[in-house]
Amino acid sequence: MEIVRNFYRHKLRSVLTISGIVIGVLALTTMGALAENFNALLDGGVQYFGSNVQVGPPVGQAASLLPLTKIDEIRKVSGVAAAFPTYGFSAKPGAVSVVNFGIPDTIIASDPTEAAWGNLKTTYAQGHAIDADSSGEVVLGSTIDKEFNKKIGDNIELPVKPRDATPDFVNHPFKVVGILNVTRTAPDTFAYINITDGQMLLKDSLPFAVRDVIDVTAIAEGIDVYAKSGTPIGELDKIADRINSQVGGVKASKPSDLVNSFKQGGAIFTAITTAAALLALIIGGLSVVNTMFMAVAERVREIGLKKAVGATTLDIMGEFLAEATLIGVIGGLVGYGLGALITIVANASTPPGQSTLFLITPSLTILAIGFATALGAVAGVLPAWRAARLDPVVALRNE
Amino acid sequence: MANVRLVDLAKQYRRGNEVIRALDGVTLDIDKGEFVAVVGRSGSGKTTMLDLMGLLLRPTSGSLFIDDIDTGRLGDSELARVRARRIGFVFQEYNLLSGLNVLENVMLPLRYVREGKNGRSRAVELIDRVGLSDRTRHRPSELSGGQAQRVAIARSMVNSPSLILLDEPTGAVDTETAQQLVDLLKRLNQEDQVTIVIVTHDLDIAKQTARQIRLKDGKVLTDERVTPGVPAG
Repeated sequence: MEIVRNFYRHKLRSVLTISGIVIGVLALTTMGALAENFNALLDGGVQYFGSNVQVGPPVGQAASLLPLTKIDEIRKVSGVAAAFPTYGFSAKPGAVSVVNFGIPDTIIASDPTEAAWGNLKTTYAQGHAIDADSSGEVVLGSTIDKEFNKKIGDNIELPVKPRDATPDFVNHPFKVVGILNVTRTAPDTFAYINITDGQMLLKDSLPFAVRDVIDVTAIAEGIDVYAKSGTPIGELDKIADRINSQVGGVKASKPSDLVNSFKQGGAIFTAITTAAALLALIIGGLSVVNTMFMAVAERVREIGLKKAVGATTLDIMGEFLAEATLIGVIGGLVGYGLGALITIVANASTPPGQSTLFLITPSLTILAIGFATALGAVAGVLPAWRAARLDPVVALRNE
Repeated sequence: MANVRLVDLAKQYRRGNEVIRALDGVTLDIDKGEFVAVVGRSGSGKTTMLDLMGLLLRPTSGSLFIDDIDTGRLGDSELARVRARRIGFVFQEYNLLSGLNVLENVMLPLRYVREGKNGRSRAVELIDRVGLSDRTRHRPSELSGGQAQRVAIARSMVNSPSLILLDEPTGAVDTETAQQLVDLLKRLNQEDQVTIVIVTHDLDIAKQTARQIRLKDGKVLTDERVTPGVPAG
């Protein structure tokens, strides 16, 4: 109560000091939310690419086309438990890419049973998975579903016809059978179809000159290779090496290379954004140091009196530390509240089809408020120490 | 039993190469319930003696016992604990905290002895005894000098100390108010049997106490017990 009154006695100074912390925490919250969002996106990549071996065409091959017979060869490699063909297409071919932290809308054709093998699990907000044998079905990620405002049973033409499409542009109607829950990573902007439909889109995407020459039912764009569940990433790397040495005409990427590139990207982004925000917050902390030194100078007689009536050095330190910490707590809560509000408004204002920019997580909340609190406490240590060490006789007779 | 015992107590300061003997080997006992005035000219050592007895200063040499506790053996925290439990202070400038009201000022020492409900009722009772029960929620800025000093006296007694030290308590009030404050102190001294040591320049005040200790150059010049109202010597 006395601390609150001390704030109230110097309203302007208190508000200015707390504002320094507020601005720092606001920066930390928004920048941190940006980094958390980016990291969530990358975590999806880490989970997905850390649980399988990606097999594509060998280096130097122009088209990403692999004979399906390679799957049988790969399955014979030691340690391989399953291999699935995959196909991927832009869902909005020809669309101008805007600045976006998300992954572009993509059509993924895969075997529905592959979902059981990977680490990146998806759940259904509505509907169910596609049927491997029923053509013309699609499962939409949460973002792409919002973009096109589709419900279960609606039809969607895929790929989406661009405004400037040529007359020979081909797309096909797909019935929405499932809508995924938000993952904050790749599946949110994906439309999943089965392999038969994927092969149909592959044929549509081939150059006219070779379209009727290539048997799309015999080729894949890529192959996802899985070991038995729980296989460590180091072992998956060895499987990639074995595929490269035993199966010709393919290139298996080491999962650890892909995962490390994701992690490095995330770490650099997080370091840059968080460091900038922490710098702002530390500058705010210096204003707390200044304010607390002023408070000590103004209350020398009060400190002397408290010592005279029995306050110990620790009591006096505790009172000033509590005051500095409270500045940190108030600044932290207000700054976090404002920062969270900005991220909520910004996310709500994101146009449908674009990934949201900010993600507030429990760890970010703890970091923002906790750091502000700790900063306030640390900023109060020196002034509190000076207060606690005052000679009561000198302090009591201070003019 | 002596409430306060000073044994060859000395306090020296250095000012450049010069050694100032603010208190120079004072030995005396003050018994429980005594009402003592310490008088002397400026620089005679009155305030130094009060600060030493209040454990705000450490002596250069000699011993000081409060309720038979040898305070020279105590660390800073233990000294603070003795101050909190056994000693009350009243200063010339009242030293009330402007942000706290009368009740909160009186309760301030309770904070450092972790007293709860009983302390509050004791504070309310003391405010009533010093005649300020209608000023409980007032701020120090709303009080007269005499009222502020009465709050300070109530504060000094809230932890039921055995010793109250007053440094020129009437120095900032008019004569009539000063007499009212002395009357209050006499009453508290008699009712609570609390030892009162009052440092003062005012001989009219000193004459009303039961014992007068006169200091000069840091030494006890005279130490006289008198019957109140009858001039010493």
